[in-house]
Amino acid sequence: MTELITLFLMFLPAWAAADNGIDVQEIVEKANRASYYAGKDGRADVTMTIHDGKGGARERAFTILRLNTRGADQKFYVYFKEPADVRKMAYLVWKNANRDDDRWLWLPAMNLVKRIAPGDKRTSFVGSDFVYEDVSGRGTEEDHHVLIKETDTQYHLKSTPKDAGSVEFSYYELWIDKTTHLPRKAEYYDKQGKLYRRVEALKVEQIDDHPTVVESKVSDLVTGGYTINRFTNVSYDNGYNERIFTERFLRRPPREIR
Amino acid sequence: MKLVLTNFGIQRPWVVLILTVLLTAGLGLQMPKVNFDNDPENMLSEDEPVRVFHHQVKEKYSLYDFVIVGIVNESHADGIFNTETLGRIGDLTEQLLTLQRTEDGKPAVTLAGSKQVLDLSPDSTWKQVLNFAFRHNPNRLFDEEGGSAIIAREIISPSVVDNIKQAELGSLRIAYLMEEKPTTREEALEIRDDAMSNPLYAGTLVAEDQKAICLYLPIQDKTYSYNVAELVRTLTADWEGDDEVYITGLPVAEDTFGVEMLVQMATSAPMAGVAIFLLLLFFFRRISLIVAPMLVALVSVITTMGLLIGLGFDVHIMSSMIAIFLMPIAVADAVHILSEFYDTYPRFKDKAATVRHVVGHLFSPMLYTTLTTMVGFASLAATPIPPVRVFGLHVAFGVGMAWLLTMVFIPAYLMLFVPSSALTGLAKKEAAAQQGGRLQRFLEGLGSFSYRHAKAILAVTMVVLVVAAYGISLIRVNDNPVKWFTPDHPVRVADKVLNEHFGGTYTAYLTFSPDDSGQAESASQWLRSRVEADDVTADIREAVLAALNAEESEGGAAGDKLFTLIARRLEDQGTGEEWARLADEVNYLDPAGLTRANLQQRLAAAPKARVDELVQLLGDTQLTGEELLNRALEISEAASAGPADQVLEWAADFSAPLFKQPAMLRWVEDLQKALAADPVVGKTSSAVDALKKASYELQYQDLPEADNQKHFSVPDTVAATGQVFTQLEGMKKKDSLFHLVTRDYREANLWIQLKSGDNRDMEAVVASVDDYMKNNPPPAAVKTGWAGLTYINVVWQEKMVKGMLSALGSSFLFVLVMMIILFRSPVFGIMAMIPLSVTISFIYGLIGLVGKEYDMPVAVLSALTLGLSVDFAIHFLQRSRELQKKHGSWKEAITQMFKEPAVAISRNAITISIGFTPLLAAPLVPYKTVGFFLATIMAVSWMATLFILAALATVLRKKIFAGEV
Repeated sequence: MTELITLFLMFLPAWAAADNGIDVQEIVEKANRASYYAGKDGRADVTMTIHDGKGGARERAFTILRLNTRGADQKFYVYFKEPADVRKMAYLVWKNANRDDDRWLWLPAMNLVKRIAPGDKRTSFVGSDFVYEDVSGRGTEEDHHVLIKETDTQYHLKSTPKDAGSVEFSYYELWIDKTTHLPRKAEYYDKQGKLYRRVEALKVEQIDDHPTVVESKVSDLVTGGYTINRFTNVSYDNGYNERIFTERFLRRPPREIR
Repeated sequence: MKLVLTNFGIQRPWVVLILTVLLTAGLGLQMPKVNFDNDPENMLSEDEPVRVFHHQVKEKYSLYDFVIVGIVNESHADGIFNTETLGRIGDLTEQLLTLQRTEDGKPAVTLAGSKQVLDLSPDSTWKQVLNFAFRHNPNRLFDEEGGSAIIAREIISPSVVDNIKQAELGSLRIAYLMEEKPTTREEALEIRDDAMSNPLYAGTLVAEDQKAICLYLPIQDKTYSYNVAELVRTLTADWEGDDEVYITGLPVAEDTFGVEMLVQMATSAPMAGVAIFLLLLFFFRRISLIVAPMLVALVSVITTMGLLIGLGFDVHIMSSMIAIFLMPIAVADAVHILSEFYDTYPRFKDKAATVRHVVGHLFSPMLYTTLTTMVGFASLAATPIPPVRVFGLHVAFGVGMAWLLTMVFIPAYLMLFVPSSALTGLAKKEAAAQQGGRLQRFLEGLGSFSYRHAKAILAVTMVVLVVAAYGISLIRVNDNPVKWFTPDHPVRVADKVLNEHFGGTYTAYLTFSPDDSGQAESASQWLRSRVEADDVTADIREAVLAALNAEESEGGAAGDKLFTLIARRLEDQGTGEEWARLADEVNYLDPAGLTRANLQQRLAAAPKARVDELVQLLGDTQLTGEELLNRALEISEAASAGPADQVLEWAADFSAPLFKQPAMLRWVEDLQKALAADPVVGKTSSAVDALKKASYELQYQDLPEADNQKHFSVPDTVAATGQVFTQLEGMKKKDSLFHLVTRDYREANLWIQLKSGDNRDMEAVVASVDDYMKNNPPPAAVKTGWAGLTYINVVWQEKMVKGMLSALGSSFLFVLVMMIILFRSPVFGIMAMIPLSVTISFIYGLIGLVGKEYDMPVAVLSALTLGLSVDFAIHFLQRSRELQKKHGSWKEAITQMFKEPAVAISRNAITISIGFTPLLAAPLVPYKTVGFFLATIMAVSWMATLFILAALATVLRKKIFAGEV
């Protein structure tokens, strides 16, 4: 089984063929399943702390619901609880395997639902060091993956985007745990070949049989800023109705999230 | 006693020579360690509060120094927004983003996947030599780890700035302004419209006349700016068509100044040397004679610069002028001695005896003129400006060194290198005598004029002083590093062009932070007044007040916690909770087949009483399905909005940081409007601009533009501003909002662009902000602070003016005391000060009258004038007194005075004046200023000495010479 909250951990996709008899694509697919598809659905309360690298920190609290729908398609509901001014703000995301995602935004203070046009998925998630792609996953077919090292516990991969122009990195390296299949670390290199970003799974726990990342961290190695997500009240297979992932439930959030 | 040094020179010339060579070599070898510093910021010491604050602001808001690259297209019908120009701008941005260092240290850029290695070394051999000599590496574009000098992620260019805009199906698109280079006119014009509709870009990134775009290249350190500017020039050198590229910004101006300063050092100083050499040749016609003063000058300059560099000081704009200052001063005494040596040699026919005689009677005046010059320069050490202090003390050292060399090295030189045979020849004597003769005849005429028209001269002097006083009252204190360049210099031209098109290339930051010093309102006081003031139902008001009273009677919590506790108390009260449960049930209803008739049945799980109430409230509705559901939800939500919810909303208001409060944000908006009316202020940018734009785009609907425009404003509630700001935090260019507001929204930064970098203009803006704040106090107490290079210049200028005045005052007193001691007479002491006082008044009166602004070089001149022009007075008075004693008659004394002594004084004045004239050819204004004013100072103090002192002595002769006749 896999886990849910790795919503916030990069997952890494696979395509490349195996050298030494190991199917790299299989490794990457498994990591993807483990990170983003655990159970039929899942929920977690998230405390996000954004450190600016200068000693200041901002905190946000929100709840995430996730439902696997058809194939690789998924639906996410993100509901903000803190700070006070963004209380009740919500995002709805329909992740579509073969086309652009659909996204909506609910701003309660302005009584406003706004659809967000498909765009760059590597933009910051609510001002944190996580990008949208960290939340919902990066298509496994978007990169070439090569296994560069195998240890007793981990696979070490190098992934290079097929469309270099669409992303800000030139490649990333990934360390995947052999037993849980969870990515434990990803490191991104910029166009000058310099390491500039790191995503880590700091703590993993077994929840309802799913190895689950309960603490993750993204570091911006240029500014020294970093963001830590802590996941609590994690549960799987709650039997969510697909209806709660609709625009209607932005205005009045579903009970499941409160 | 007077001859100790000189005798040593005469007796041990080789020892003196070797010591001189060793000293020169020792200190000269320090020179390769040179470090140049052309940063006007260093006019203030590191711990100067405004500098410390400036750096805190830069750190807090992640602000950088910018190289500003303006691209102007005046001829295309669409201005800058044509596909070719935008394409070039896109390519240039990509190149700058990908700047990296190759293995062998060269810069390389990548465009469309292909890497291009560049070499920024100049073509001209002379420039290469200069770069080598001054250790300027034109390819230095990287830090020690090889990171780019340009902070790529903070570049401001159409390709990498955020754009929020409406997209298909009423959705909102967040992308870069120019994601792709446009291929059609429509695409190019779309970029134009997007840019022009964003208040953060119009007037900063794009010119409001649509003819120009500015790229702002943030650099890691100001010292990279010249090289970055050169890089851009190299990358744009092959641009065809009508695109003009202009590069400016204070860092570029400052760094360019530094680089050109080096060229000046390498050219002006040798030129001054040549000029002085030729002049001396003209006076003395004997190369072996005049080589000595040149050597004195050279050794003084080398040892002084060597000392400065060896002590670890950077060569700043001031100290770059040391050589030019020292040379004419250093030769003066040597010329004096040689002039006399030469005239008296025939009497002694013995070099040693002649030297002893000459030094014997010139020792005192020379010691004193040297000391006074040293005092004049050393007084600069009293200013609060470190580079000026270093300059003053080192010139003082150099002057002392020149004196020592004159006393020891000149005699040694005469003994070793000037053969007696060369001195006995009559030809040269004749030539010089003729030379001296012409000058002498002129001076004799002058002398008798001074004697006969003494009273008239003094009257004219008084008039000059009155006019000068008026001129001084007109002096405008002002400086602007860009104006250090001549008007046709590329930096100055770029500055002018870009300030015509844009909001302004001069940056200042006005920061606001909450003033927590006052007594803050307690949470309960605050809540009580909001409960009374806000438009809420009587039920809610009563419930909240009751809960608040209950909470207070139990001791009560403070701050945010109070709200949480009260909300908790209120949660279970009333029917709100039942309505909320009903609303949830309604929310989950399947709209298919939903009618008023089956509503009750489908809501079986909800509280019965509320369902009945709902049905009643729905009345006789014909709505079905989705519409019915929405209506039912609306009713139950409205009814469920209980006091607890309301308290939590108030909590958001209470805990809101200053810059999420609509009233405060609107105040900033109004301040910006007021500033926009100031002609010097081209543009202001704040988080409010970003907020308004985002609010507009988020709420945009398919309505008449006038309706949408209403939302181009600060939202009404704390929660709404908070939510819009949260959207801005998640833009593509991360954290760009935080250049304008801190992450906790407690503090904000207003970016002000000025069209002029004149300190006076900056001061005027500061004053108008103060004024505005006095008349329109902000809704909450705030502290303001100023930062930015333009503002820093104002601060050091103020310090400089005050510092120079006190330096002048203290050195004046010091020199006066020295004069009284020298002449052992208060009257003579005061008289010695008169020429320099007149000269200083005249010079500054002239500066005021011609409208020349009082800037740094002008300020430094005061100290110089004092030290130099007192010299003439010393010589004049000293010799006058001797002659008066000898002849017993002032009339006879003054006649003698205007013979040989006046010639020596005049030769000195001419030498120094001519020595500074090469500065007039410099392309840098401060050098020109110094050259012009020094020549003027020499002329004026020469006249002041010969006319005024002579006239004054004539009028006062009975009193001043009374005891000595």
